[in-house]
Amino acid sequence: MRRRAFVTGSLAGLAVGSLPVGRAAQAADQIVLGSAISQTGKYAREGKFYVDAYALTVEAINKAGGVKVGGRPYQLALKLYDDQSDPNLSVRLFTRLVTSDRVNFLLGPYSSGITIPASAVSEKYEIPMIQGGGASGKIFDRGYKYIFGTLPKAEFYFQSAIEAAVKLTPPVRTAALLYSNEAFDRSVADGARQWLKEWKVDKVYDEEYQPATQDFTSILAVIKSKGPDLVLVAGHVENALNFIRQSQAADVNPKMVVFTVGPPTADFRKTLGKAAELAYGITPWLPDMEVGGEVFASASQFAKQFQERFGYEADYHVAAGAACVLALKVAVEHASSLEPKKVRDALAALDVETLYGRVKFEPTGQIAMGQVLIQIQDGKVVPVYVSGKMLRKPVYPTPKWAERK
Amino acid sequence: MLTLQLLINGILLGGLYGIMALGMSLIWGVMNIVNIAHGALIMLGAYLTFWTFTLWGWDPFAALPLTILILFVYGYLLQRLVLNLVVRAQLFLTLLITFGVEVVMVNLARMFWSADLRQVTPAYAGANFSVGGLTIPYVRLWVFVTTVILSVSFLLLLERTRLGRAIRATSEELRAARLTGIPVTHIYAVTFGLGAALAGAAGGLWGMLFPITPIMGGALTLKSFVVAVLGGLGTMMGAIVGGLVLGLAESFSATYLGPTYPNAISFGLVVLILILRPAGILGRRS
Repeated sequence: MRRRAFVTGSLAGLAVGSLPVGRAAQAADQIVLGSAISQTGKYAREGKFYVDAYALTVEAINKAGGVKVGGRPYQLALKLYDDQSDPNLSVRLFTRLVTSDRVNFLLGPYSSGITIPASAVSEKYEIPMIQGGGASGKIFDRGYKYIFGTLPKAEFYFQSAIEAAVKLTPPVRTAALLYSNEAFDRSVADGARQWLKEWKVDKVYDEEYQPATQDFTSILAVIKSKGPDLVLVAGHVENALNFIRQSQAADVNPKMVVFTVGPPTADFRKTLGKAAELAYGITPWLPDMEVGGEVFASASQFAKQFQERFGYEADYHVAAGAACVLALKVAVEHASSLEPKKVRDALAALDVETLYGRVKFEPTGQIAMGQVLIQIQDGKVVPVYVSGKMLRKPVYPTPKWAERK
Repeated sequence: MLTLQLLINGILLGGLYGIMALGMSLIWGVMNIVNIAHGALIMLGAYLTFWTFTLWGWDPFAALPLTILILFVYGYLLQRLVLNLVVRAQLFLTLLITFGVEVVMVNLARMFWSADLRQVTPAYAGANFSVGGLTIPYVRLWVFVTTVILSVSFLLLLERTRLGRAIRATSEELRAARLTGIPVTHIYAVTFGLGAALAGAAGGLWGMLFPITPIMGGALTLKSFVVAVLGGLGTMMGAIVGGLVLGLAESFSATYLGPTYPNAISFGLVVLILILRPAGILGRRS
């Protein structure tokens, strides 16, 4: 508490004098949402998911009558920049969005590494930022009051996977943990270590790697020599692709391999083809989940509209991005004001059902939500386990590569 | 047993690093151009393999000759029409212009082919065989064999043919080469074409093992640079040796020091070599 008071106090001090006036004086009846998001550079792929998600949701909200503030309908508008996957540029662009473009509210960038510095801008100028692209605890443990996130906590990413693994027959007894040395994946690994300890799974390998790693053959040779039942991999999609391809080539056969990213993404399954079969992944959202709310009545309806508009399948990134825009809409309506402070308080108090599920934030600003363990079966994503419930029996133990069809 | 497996992993990948660096070393040695666009040429080669595989169902190995031919022509024209403007200029200028070429190529690739990850997945992609507890992936083995064939033919071309002699002459003594009637502009373009063709071949092979993206080239330019410096600039055998050294260094450091170390080790090696043998492992002192 003391720390929070100190941080916000000093930041408020910094902000005095630089706080732009007349923010609401935008083009008549328009609420402008600003964001800098990676459209080029190493996050260009994931960045596109958010750009498209924001665009579709803004369109849909405008079509459904816009945002009603004090009985007056406002249209939403987007102001987007490309941060080129560069955290430094991101900070400059968000500062520009706030000070010279004078946008009303901020939507987040992609990746924890960029969100951490970017959120300092929203905090400094006291403009709410709601983001669906960063899940690291480091975004939320600084006592900031203006940052909200729709991705579940990184530390909880492997919770359901490890819980499920010890409940399967034969239960998993040993595990290998491999994670990239980025803020987010380190948080995932910190959490995983706790869950492994709690469920008394013996950790036989625990290493971090550089996210730019292409060749995993040496890492795989060591993992193979240790022979763990469970392998947990936290990294980027490209890492997961390489890991699967090379485990097949190196004939590494654990009972279960779980990735933080990749399996829920259609693109990933298409790129890998058959090799993706039976890989486990986690996701906070699936298109066939029974959730829904205003503007998008159901997850599947959203998924359908998205597919029609952009020609590819929406994954959880997209849904989390859409949830940001929707949460902001509802919060503005609840606040019945465009005042950043009031909207911030409305976001903190928000509890609303959306296409993404229930959006309700913890005091830190991060969504209170768990992960679904999934497995790829016949090229489709099958939900396996969530919060203590086995949803569908997985193919377990994973058959050896040589014995697969 | 683990050590032996790591040795094999390192050598199989090292061959590919060698062929990647060969093209860069050639262009650097003959024209004194540090080709920043080298990785972009590798990327282009990888995409050619991907598209011939995806659209026409060509086997990725069968696509290599076409890739090599296209990249040769592309490299020849690039040198003749663009780089020739600054040939023998200050190093800084050539760095800038090849950097510009790189930026243009990468962004065009992103425009036309999107930032999506691509992968070449022939039916035999994951196939392997075991000998005495060691696992050897077929694709990596064939990729290695191909790099050996390509390197040997390239070395023969340089050593045994009239063209090769002309290239070497131009590299060693420009004025004397001109005096003996060697068409230097043409030789430069051919050299750049050969360098690009090697990069293209490396790209085609790389694309069989790793995902393909428009931005894949940056890291590979750096790798080629490391290998070229390690082995000794301008010496063709040096690039091959440097590649093997890098492959082994990565393989062992990832295991015994931890997977975050390979880059630190490879650049550390470069510093070490530059201190102990400034001309590279096989380099001659000039």
